[in-house]
Amino acid sequence: MSRPNMIRPIRHALLRQLAQQPRNALAGFLSTRSQSTTVADNVKPGPPQLVNELPDPREENETRLPRAVQALYLQPLRREAEYGVPSCDLQLRSFSIPNLEFFCDFAIRAAYYLGLPAFGPVPLPKITERWTVPRSHFIFKKSQENFERITRRRLIQIRDGHPETVQIWLAFLQKHAHYGIGMKANIWEYGKLEIGKQMDGELKSMQEVIEQKMEHLGRDKTLGTVEKVKELLASERFRHTR
Amino acid sequence: MSMFRAKKLDLGCFINIKTIRDHSKRKAFAQHEPERQALRYIIRNTTLPARTRAEAQLQLTRMHCYTRPTQIRGRCLLGGKGRGILRDFKMSRYNFRMQALEGNIPGVQKASW
Repeated sequence: MSRPNMIRPIRHALLRQLAQQPRNALAGFLSTRSQSTTVADNVKPGPPQLVNELPDPREENETRLPRAVQALYLQPLRREAEYGVPSCDLQLRSFSIPNLEFFCDFAIRAAYYLGLPAFGPVPLPKITERWTVPRSHFIFKKSQENFERITRRRLIQIRDGHPETVQIWLAFLQKHAHYGIGMKANIWEYGKLEIGKQMDGELKSMQEVIEQKMEHLGRDKTLGTVEKVKELLASERFRHTR
Repeated sequence: MSMFRAKKLDLGCFINIKTIRDHSKRKAFAQHEPERQALRYIIRNTTLPARTRAEAQLQLTRMHCYTRPTQIRGRCLLGGKGRGILRDFKMSRYNFRMQALEGNIPGVQKASW
């Protein structure tokens, strides 16, 4: 780098100091420093624009970014929890850390803008699965190869969240789901006493929705066995045995 | 058994008479599972008369062998092999190794520790 190029940033910084005096700076110190620079450059301290100085593009449009955009470059903001009663545990799982970290950040920011106090991300223990397979045919068992799959997990806890807001938050995350990330949420709701009766009343309307989800989960009982037993016992073959 | 086999091919994996057979066994088992469970319940229920239970035993033994869960065997999706299948991936050990080395299985990589 040539000499003028090297000193340009320094000179620039000093000029800025001259243009707008910092309130907390010592007056004497500033004056001596500005004098020394001006003497070196042979320029009067009056005009801020130098002869062979190009205007800095950064200074020309000094409009700052909107606060919400600026916040993206900083740590995510968080709400304060007043009571600290947990209302939702969201577990995120992925095989790759960058994706996971990114989405955790996203989830926490979303919680902030929804007014939910979010805690985390808490790194949970990794799940390591390993497989060992022979590289070749059966007889070459001596030479094997190991494979592994490590699942990384993060926990984000919402405290003092209104159940509806929590649902909105979860729906938002599901809508903007990132690739390669699995989500699992435990939600706690607090209701009045005798909630059982109310839930029994809602059961019929909820049955259809629940069945759709439950179809994909493992069940240890075969559906329709009871009806089949009744049918068999009523059938011609069994009737004469009783 | 051809009576359990689908009239039209309904498999997307490696096609082989063995894979087709295994698939039809799975379907037959799923279809007859309530009946099988009901018969087992009747056999084990001591409050029912002995003759009923004996009849249920007879019926259970007379059910087709394709409806038994023990007939189902894991088969490789890519080669139809019946042995050395990794249940997590439904692939034989060699096909699993090839796919893992190519990076086609999410998250699986070579391990060293």
